[in-house]
Amino acid sequence: MTRAYAQDFTTKELIAAFIAHQVRDGERVAVGAGLHVPRAGILLAHLLYCPNVRLYIVMTFTNLLKEPRMEPFYTVTDFRPAKWAEAYVLHDDFQENPRLVSNMFVVGALQIDPYGNSNLIGVGRDYHRLSFRGPGAVGTTSMAHYVDRYYLYVQSHDRRIFVEKCDFISTIGWGEGGPDGRRRLGLPDNGPIYCITPLCIMDFEPRTKRMRLKSVHPGVTVDDVVRNTGFELIIPDVVPETEPPTVEELRVLRERIDVEGMLRT
Amino acid sequence: MVVERRSLIIDEREAASWIRDGMTIAIGGFINSSHPMAIVRQIIRRGVRDLTVIGPASGGLDLDLLIGAGCVRKLVTAYMGGEHYCPVAPMFRAAVERGELQVWECDEGMYYCALRAAAQRLPFTPWKAGIGTSFPDVNPEIKVFTDPIKGEPLLAVPAIRPDIALIYAAHADPYGNVQHIGTGFGDRALWRAADRTIVQVERIIPNEEVRKNPLATSLYGVDAIVRAPYGSHPFAAPGYYIEDAAHLREYVAAATAYAKHGDRGPFEAYLRKYVLEPETHADYLEVIGIKRLISLHEY
Repeated sequence: MTRAYAQDFTTKELIAAFIAHQVRDGERVAVGAGLHVPRAGILLAHLLYCPNVRLYIVMTFTNLLKEPRMEPFYTVTDFRPAKWAEAYVLHDDFQENPRLVSNMFVVGALQIDPYGNSNLIGVGRDYHRLSFRGPGAVGTTSMAHYVDRYYLYVQSHDRRIFVEKCDFISTIGWGEGGPDGRRRLGLPDNGPIYCITPLCIMDFEPRTKRMRLKSVHPGVTVDDVVRNTGFELIIPDVVPETEPPTVEELRVLRERIDVEGMLRT
Repeated sequence: MVVERRSLIIDEREAASWIRDGMTIAIGGFINSSHPMAIVRQIIRRGVRDLTVIGPASGGLDLDLLIGAGCVRKLVTAYMGGEHYCPVAPMFRAAVERGELQVWECDEGMYYCALRAAAQRLPFTPWKAGIGTSFPDVNPEIKVFTDPIKGEPLLAVPAIRPDIALIYAAHADPYGNVQHIGTGFGDRALWRAADRTIVQVERIIPNEEVRKNPLATSLYGVDAIVRAPYGSHPFAAPGYYIEDAAHLREYVAAATAYAKHGDRGPFEAYLRKYVLEPETHADYLEVIGIKRLISLHEY
């Protein structure tokens, strides 16, 4: 069966559809408030493909399959969407209750190195003399450790973000690389799967665990990606275009999830 | 002799007088919601200094205000920002970049480890997440050790015990039975870890009301209750009001003038108008104005 692909969509909508394809039915998935694109992608997966996903949304657990459309909300503490709640998340239960851990998770970053190690602490060689103090790790260190799969996601793609070496590491990726980079650190093998940017999708080459270009978004060239990445990327012989959203995905995104059009700007 | 049960109700001025220079205090809520602001503003008015402040797992602009006002020496939290209002809290950013504020660097998991160890009266909680990261380097109080059972590396996250936890909740009776609306975020962890707890509430409810649904009692045996309607303003209060977006933008603009351009004037003006000049919480509410306050309904 050929899929009916949409013709006219934004990069944010493209990325939301890509993220939607990473969710599996029956999983627990945290829906952040601040990252609109991953949030839209997870909700898209839920409404179209994963009716049994248990959403962790504004400190509640719920299922939104029968909601005609999502009310807009901007903060993780906005209690208005909590009208959907089936259960409250007691945030301090994290250590005690594995049901608070998502199966898949999206991690943002100020810096990312070739092995997918990432930094939300700050920028600067000396921790006591930071040139830019970041927001902090939030829950990314622990969540990325316990989830089955995690994805790196950044809202711009440039040489300040993609660096040879992070000034600090707040979430470990594939460590120093190699097939057993994480096992050498005593960690399970659940490093980042993909790194998702406004230019492209990257994965990690299995032997070296170095970042490798997987696909470029429509209108982006391989050279655009290389020029904006501060380390040597593995470039396969053939780099396809990122799969576009389907007509149906775009319709559900626009009519039920992103009613305000934040992904269209 | 008639014996009466003792009321624990005090006002925000007495509550803030419990906080002394150099103490370790915890402040509950989560980013843009549920902070005991009547007490926080009174702490600033009293000019308390050198506090170690344990924020929520993810901290917000309530802590940023305390930092800007010069009350904080050391901060324990895993995030400092205002979500879409500002990606990084401005006075926090300025203080760290100028070397004026120590940060006890952690993520939310490690943060709860520290409170859990305090509640359990243990020296530390073992934690796996964070191995291979910079946390043990930038926070030397977090140590890597070898698990004596499996021989694998683990983090030892030391206990942090608040002298006093300051928590915001919807309701309490006069005897220290507290009922949150909504999840209560990580407030229970602060209450369990702290020596003493003061809870600021929107409304005092009768003890009979508590007994109608004891399952709703989220904290009990706390040390004092402060009644402060609209007391989380400018932040949200589940079941009562949403955050005051215009006020938060005003704060962010004032604080950003300092963080980005070194101009402390707008922040000082904010501090004078909203914190130093109003003598009490009631005076603060008059400055904000009744029209603004009642516009912050849910929908």
